[in-house]
Amino acid sequence: MNKYFLTGMMSILMLSVFGQTQKIEFEEFTLDNGLHVILHEDKTTPIVAVTILYHVGSKNEQQDRTGFAHFFEHLLFEGSQNIERGEFDKYVERNGGTLNANTSQDRTFYYEIFTSNNLELGLWLESERLLHAKVENIGIETQREVVKEEKRQRVDNQPYGTFMEEAFKRLFKEHPYNWVPIGSMEHLDAAQEEDYVNFYQTFYVPANATLSIAGDIDIKEAKELINKYFASIPKGQAINLYRDFVMMDDTSFESKYKLSKSIFNKENFFATTSKEGKAAIKKYENTPTVIPRPKVKEPALEKETVDVIYDNIQLPGVFIAYHSPAQNTKDAYAMEMLNAVLSGGTSSRMNKNIVEKKELAVAAFSFNFPLEDPGMALVAAIAAKDVSVEELQNALDEEIVRVQTELVTEEEFQKVKNQFENNFYSSNSSVAGIAESLANNHVYYGNANLINDELKMYENITREDLMAVAKKYLKKDARVILHYLPKE
Amino acid sequence: MNKYIITLSVAFSTIAAFGQLDRSNAPKPGAAPEINIAEPEVFELDNGLKVILSSNHRQPKVSFNLVFTSDPALEGQKAGVSELVGQLILGGTTNRSKDEIDNEKDFIGATLAAGSSSIYMSCLTKHMDKGLDLMLDVLHNASFPEDEFTRIKKQTESGLLSAKTDPNSMASNAVSKSVFPSHPFGEVMTESSLNNISRQDIIDYYKSRFIPAGTYLVIVGDINLDKAKELANQHFASWEGGVPYEADYNKGYFPENNRVIFVEKPGAVQSVINIAFPMNIEPGHEDIIKLSVMNKLFGGGGFGTRLMQNLREDKAWTYGAYSSTNINIEGSWFSAAGSFRNEVTDSAIYEFLQEFENITKDFVTEEELELNKASMAGSFARSLESPRTIANFALSIYRNNLPSDYYQTYLQKLAAVTKEDVLEVAKKYITPKNLNIVVVGNEEVLEKISRFDGDGVIERLDEFGNPASKKEYKEASIDKNEVINNYFMAVTGQKKLKKAEKALVKITSMEQIMTVKPQGAPIELKMTTYFEAPNKKATSIEVMGMIAQKEVFDGEKGGSKTMNQSGGHDVKELEASEIEEKKIMNAFLPEIGLMSGKVEYSLLGIDAVNGKDYYVIEYVVGKSTTKAYYNVETFMKEMSESLEVTEEGPQNITAKYSDFKSVKGIQFPHTISQMVGSAVLDATVKEINLNVKIDPKKFEL
Repeated sequence: MNKYFLTGMMSILMLSVFGQTQKIEFEEFTLDNGLHVILHEDKTTPIVAVTILYHVGSKNEQQDRTGFAHFFEHLLFEGSQNIERGEFDKYVERNGGTLNANTSQDRTFYYEIFTSNNLELGLWLESERLLHAKVENIGIETQREVVKEEKRQRVDNQPYGTFMEEAFKRLFKEHPYNWVPIGSMEHLDAAQEEDYVNFYQTFYVPANATLSIAGDIDIKEAKELINKYFASIPKGQAINLYRDFVMMDDTSFESKYKLSKSIFNKENFFATTSKEGKAAIKKYENTPTVIPRPKVKEPALEKETVDVIYDNIQLPGVFIAYHSPAQNTKDAYAMEMLNAVLSGGTSSRMNKNIVEKKELAVAAFSFNFPLEDPGMALVAAIAAKDVSVEELQNALDEEIVRVQTELVTEEEFQKVKNQFENNFYSSNSSVAGIAESLANNHVYYGNANLINDELKMYENITREDLMAVAKKYLKKDARVILHYLPKE
Repeated sequence: MNKYIITLSVAFSTIAAFGQLDRSNAPKPGAAPEINIAEPEVFELDNGLKVILSSNHRQPKVSFNLVFTSDPALEGQKAGVSELVGQLILGGTTNRSKDEIDNEKDFIGATLAAGSSSIYMSCLTKHMDKGLDLMLDVLHNASFPEDEFTRIKKQTESGLLSAKTDPNSMASNAVSKSVFPSHPFGEVMTESSLNNISRQDIIDYYKSRFIPAGTYLVIVGDINLDKAKELANQHFASWEGGVPYEADYNKGYFPENNRVIFVEKPGAVQSVINIAFPMNIEPGHEDIIKLSVMNKLFGGGGFGTRLMQNLREDKAWTYGAYSSTNINIEGSWFSAAGSFRNEVTDSAIYEFLQEFENITKDFVTEEELELNKASMAGSFARSLESPRTIANFALSIYRNNLPSDYYQTYLQKLAAVTKEDVLEVAKKYITPKNLNIVVVGNEEVLEKISRFDGDGVIERLDEFGNPASKKEYKEASIDKNEVINNYFMAVTGQKKLKKAEKALVKITSMEQIMTVKPQGAPIELKMTTYFEAPNKKATSIEVMGMIAQKEVFDGEKGGSKTMNQSGGHDVKELEASEIEEKKIMNAFLPEIGLMSGKVEYSLLGIDAVNGKDYYVIEYVVGKSTTKAYYNVETFMKEMSESLEVTEEGPQNITAKYSDFKSVKGIQFPHTISQMVGSAVLDATVKEINLNVKIDPKKFEL
């Protein structure tokens, strides 16, 4: 009795601490061409992270052209009108920086981290990538091979590496989450230069991008530099008029636009004195870019599907996949907490019971794929030596049924809250991480300030909510089970 | 959120700005920012414990890391003790069970970890007391419960199992053993050394190494000096214990000539090449920064290094090739490594050797020097973002007796490195004629790489880096033909070979139905085989009434059909060479094919398996090598092992035959247990029908 009282008191105390944390200050604005900008100043270390997020991922792809979003993540390091092929990363390395990029179902993210005296270089590189990257056959051919190597190494050759692909394609029949970002190599092979140019012109436009900068910057100076390199990027379809002017020969340009290239200024496209040229630019500036986004809602699963996948593995694995709530909903936060009860830390239920007590698995885990549209929740384990998938499946089901039928204990519930608080601080420990969180929060939720409020989201969630989401989403008759077995 | 947004639409005119901006040149970087490296606080307690504090209040988090400084010890027959201690120390104390430790740690969201010479804890500042309490309990009262000891040993055994097939672990074991013989760095845990380790060994290690003398307590994060002093005195000052273990070791083995060391990985399609040699240098030496520049541009990361440019960008022989320097008080070494296709293994070694020659002969170019120095300076600056870096600098200064301004002046020293310096350290430390060249791969590469060995004799090591012994067979007193002939008589139950051959010729067709259960899978497969003399054969595997796989050969052509993930079928026709093989080996018994005179086979000798002696016959057909085991008394074939090299790598298949029963006078095994990789399939024969009429359609796809 005393023990319960104490824990109850503690949770009240804990909750009041939430939200009193140091605030991450930032400033944001949108340029006339639609580019959204977020700036966070932190002078602790003389470094700066220059990041840009394009709101395009594999879910924006056509179903016969999968893998495009991820492919662009590679292609857009190939160079631009002013950056020679192969020079993009050299500019960064020569100046002591590091760079990389990643692609999800929902977005593509590029970044450079340098000492702070290279801010302008970073802005130039990213503005070149946005304005007029080289989307042409020579780069496409090279990157096709690199992407194939990447798939071999990271998917095909990775034990259990196909589980994402296998689970998503069974969970989603209508929604483009049916395929995963790495996509299909056949589609990449089949695609023509024109397909790639179209993709670039559709999705790589300022109104679909968020420039997020964090670190040792002077906000006023940063704004001036951003105006210099980004405010000058044309708005609406004028950017594509300009890109076509640069890339197309006279005949193709004329047949596409019914305009002669001669009405524009060769040296400086926008400095044309021709009346017709000016009118055309104005017209295309006022033609907005439209980003195709999937509207389809995936119908609920109506049965349990069990499939066997043979892989180059030593130990069998069981992967149970469900539809999960869309991110930033109350249900999504409750699911995150539920996952932590199941598999967060060595004291979690799945580790204690399945790995340590029953010794049925070498590892057991559960997590949500935080996606913009409803995505996937996963409960999985890798079998210990000589353990069958049935035994393992039963042990996993036992844990799932338990969270559906019994409330998690007060103590577990509090533990999870404490873990989330700890994670919250850990995730904001680098300027690159802060820049990325700010951009994500703006793009997905229209609220960059969520970076400061995220812990509050968990305040209103109760133990009953955890049980409710367990029942609502982890349904036995609406799931996909994959049994991974050693290949014959 | 709207209040944050300021739209700049009016302030800047897009068109004008575009016109004025010259984009064609990259902006020049501004003046380099001053890199300030915070000074950590350092103080010592009476019991010899040194405390290093790096305060940083950006996050309300704090971490405590105890670093023990005993020298490593030789473990001999018990190699692996130090590796197990880290995991086991968290397995329970006299006050808390493992469950309690896990619960209390997770409840405050803390991290608690340990290794062979450290215990680490981090948590939110407000949970510091609780976190320290757990850390101290583990430090002082670890009880190493018997059941945890057993569990962790079992888990480690599974780990060794997978390391045995991982070419990179195999290469690193061989490098350790070759470069550091009779040295703790050259000791590798094996199944037998793991088995030799007792719980008492772990306890002894813990008691003698986890002591205050010579130990550092590194505190990082949201805590000030006064509080750190208070906590250190309160919790660590009364801690007592022995003296750190000290030992001197050799500095590694320099072979007189280049030495090739080979570790066989049957069926490998790639070789791991790792070229390593010791360096006579200790931490704190003035050459270290110069050496690190040399290593960086040689192969120390990034795409612009010499190894990457040559082996990947130019030749496309590998996904990556890298070099590294490892500098320790106990011994230092240099290594350069990568994975290469079998066909280019020898050419790749040649290129590595060329690169070693070049770097010790000629100046590097100014361009590569500047690019790599800039890259190193940038990564140094970026590393300062983590408060842990500052603490690690301080720890390194103390442990390695570096000047106190070593890191403060790092960037100046880096900037001062010239191409003359790079050549000087390359000449001093790289010995292109005294290399240990480790190759893990397929035996087929062996012949071509022996030319790199000084005396032409290649040393062979096993997967753990111990001398590999070639399998020894006892000599057989009969020859290979007699083994096969006796087998024919055993199968047919005849005493005379002529009669046996007659009985076999009489078999014109067969239909066999088996059920196959993969161990651990919730399914049962049905396998049906049809045979028609001399060499027609069809096998199909059904899963729940659907044909998952089918293989046919009608005497002239054939192929296979496999169900794919999308429910359709992948069809593959037999190639010309496969057709020739099938014509011979699709006989009623493969041994009949062997006797055709068209297949090479040999008798390796007698081998004992599970206490029974077997004649072992080996033959190669296409890409697969088979060893068949015939019981020396009964001559029945009780086992076969085949190794097939596929595009995805080598595949081992072992089949054990038992439960022999006669069908129309012919002995058939009715239980067949097959191991494919690590998967086990148990097959039971349900029905065998001989000399029945078989629909010719069965031999079509």
